[in-house]
Amino acid sequence: MRFGGLTCVDKVSTTVEENELLGMIGPNGAGKTTVFNMITGVYDPTEGDILFNNESIVPYKPYEVSKKGISRTFQNIRLFKSLSVKDNVRVSFIKNVQSKYFSSILQLPKFTKEEKEIDKKIDELLEMFDLLHEKDEYAVSLPYGDQRKLEIVRALATSPKLLLLDEPAAGMNPTEKVDLMNLIKKIKDLFSISILLIEHDMKVVMGVCERIFVLEYGKKIADGKPEEIRNDPKVILAYLGDTHAGN
Amino acid sequence: MQVKSKLLFLSSIAVIFIINLFAGSIDPYFYTVIIYIGINMILATSLNLINGYTGQFSLGHAGFMAIGGYLSIALSTYFAPFFQRTFGTGVFGESITFIIVLLAGGTAAALVGLLVGVPSLRLKGDYLAITTLGFAEIIRVVIQNMDVIGASQGFRGVYIYTNGVKSPQMVQDLVDMPNIFYAVPKFTNFFWTFLFVAIIVYYVHNLINSTYGRGFLSVKDDEIAAESMGINTTKFKVSAFVTGAFFAGIAGVLYGHFNLYLNPEDFNFLKSVEIVVMVILGGMGSMIGVIIAAVLLTILPEFLRSVSEYRMIIYALLLIIIMLTRPQGLFGFKVKLKKDKNKK
Repeated sequence: MRFGGLTCVDKVSTTVEENELLGMIGPNGAGKTTVFNMITGVYDPTEGDILFNNESIVPYKPYEVSKKGISRTFQNIRLFKSLSVKDNVRVSFIKNVQSKYFSSILQLPKFTKEEKEIDKKIDELLEMFDLLHEKDEYAVSLPYGDQRKLEIVRALATSPKLLLLDEPAAGMNPTEKVDLMNLIKKIKDLFSISILLIEHDMKVVMGVCERIFVLEYGKKIADGKPEEIRNDPKVILAYLGDTHAGN
Repeated sequence: MQVKSKLLFLSSIAVIFIINLFAGSIDPYFYTVIIYIGINMILATSLNLINGYTGQFSLGHAGFMAIGGYLSIALSTYFAPFFQRTFGTGVFGESITFIIVLLAGGTAAALVGLLVGVPSLRLKGDYLAITTLGFAEIIRVVIQNMDVIGASQGFRGVYIYTNGVKSPQMVQDLVDMPNIFYAVPKFTNFFWTFLFVAIIVYYVHNLINSTYGRGFLSVKDDEIAAESMGINTTKFKVSAFVTGAFFAGIAGVLYGHFNLYLNPEDFNFLKSVEIVVMVILGGMGSMIGVIIAAVLLTILPEFLRSVSEYRMIIYALLLIIIMLTRPQGLFGFKVKLKKDKNKK
């Protein structure tokens, strides 16, 4: 991926296996979010290809990528501000909704039935993540941790096969981080989906990820199990700098 | 809940129908104001779908109104002999004629809305406002130069000569030729106007409160997030734009068949702004607020007639004061953050 003359992400190649939790780490500006944006179709890669279920998803627009089964959260929370918690989740159901424009206006029986089903599904999801008591609040009035959680629930409501989490632990305190780790594990167990996680917090990454790959300046420098990554000299160099630089 | 809104809709139509029976006894001046209130309600509610709910700042609503208005009165005058022959001149025949021209006017406006919307809705905010404004001006200037609909002199009817020549003005060369003048028929009445008010309120209400319709609001709040949740934002924007244009066209038809005379100047920049003001004053995305603003902004200039030359100054001042004290609009809402959240 290049922006003008700036090569931002260079020949990064990896695979996320089915039902795998892959962590992506790297120093600031390494291109992690750019990778996300390429996968979800926000940017089109200038070179290379992205395959999902053996199908190239490069030509697809973001909403089409979402329909294919890839969902994401955002580094800086992007909830729908003027919508309630419930409606934030509801939006995720639109892509599969059967009663569209005209049946919504005419309120056909099909529409009424479907609305009830969706209502039920939303309630179940919110219940599962302990947000049900806040369902009628405006999304932005939730505490920070719950907003992050709601974003994940919203992404899950699109019933994805691959979930991309962009720094879900950013700005959280240690207790919230522990909750988050449990949440991620829970999602993986309950929904059996693949998760690609960007995270800065090593505790979280090492705690939940089965495999980690490391980016630096847009290049992959390591890929392996958490223990391997922890002891990889290149990774340590990237994160901590060269301790012998002065000599 | 849904049964209730259906019932409310049907009963309101019944009420409108009954009131219409007594419409003859209403003072003509008040009657005119009431009709204009209805037309403005339709305009404001339809623009609210675009500007308020979907968050796309359109400044060209008068253009769609002009298309609907002009097309419909051209139809109902140029084809007056045809309509009279086919459907007769009774109430029933006239109603059918009116329904046809209403749908034609609305559809034409919607089609133009589609044509304008597809390229221009890629733009955001100010840029979209300028594009739509430019488009509305183009419509006006084109109408101003079309002789078949009266050009800059306005359009009040058609002279149809026995040799088949049709013209909105007397033709000099055919002075001695016998002709019939077909004026714009006065089809619009209380019933038709408020029937469409009821329809658009019901329509937009149902749309916005459905799962599918929540997509419009999500586009307003955060396009990137909406796209990532599988929402085709372009499709939602265009469909809001087309729906808005359709009802603006309908409002134009109602206006044309009430005023019985259309002038390109009726649809200038100020008319578009007036509709935008109704939406902003009422509160973007508040149905009831926008309707009340439409009523207020139609009545206010009438009340201020007593102070004649200061009228527009007071009108503008009131708008400024309201905006300073309630920037979110009369019935708009601000998302309130719960401050005592942590105390729980």
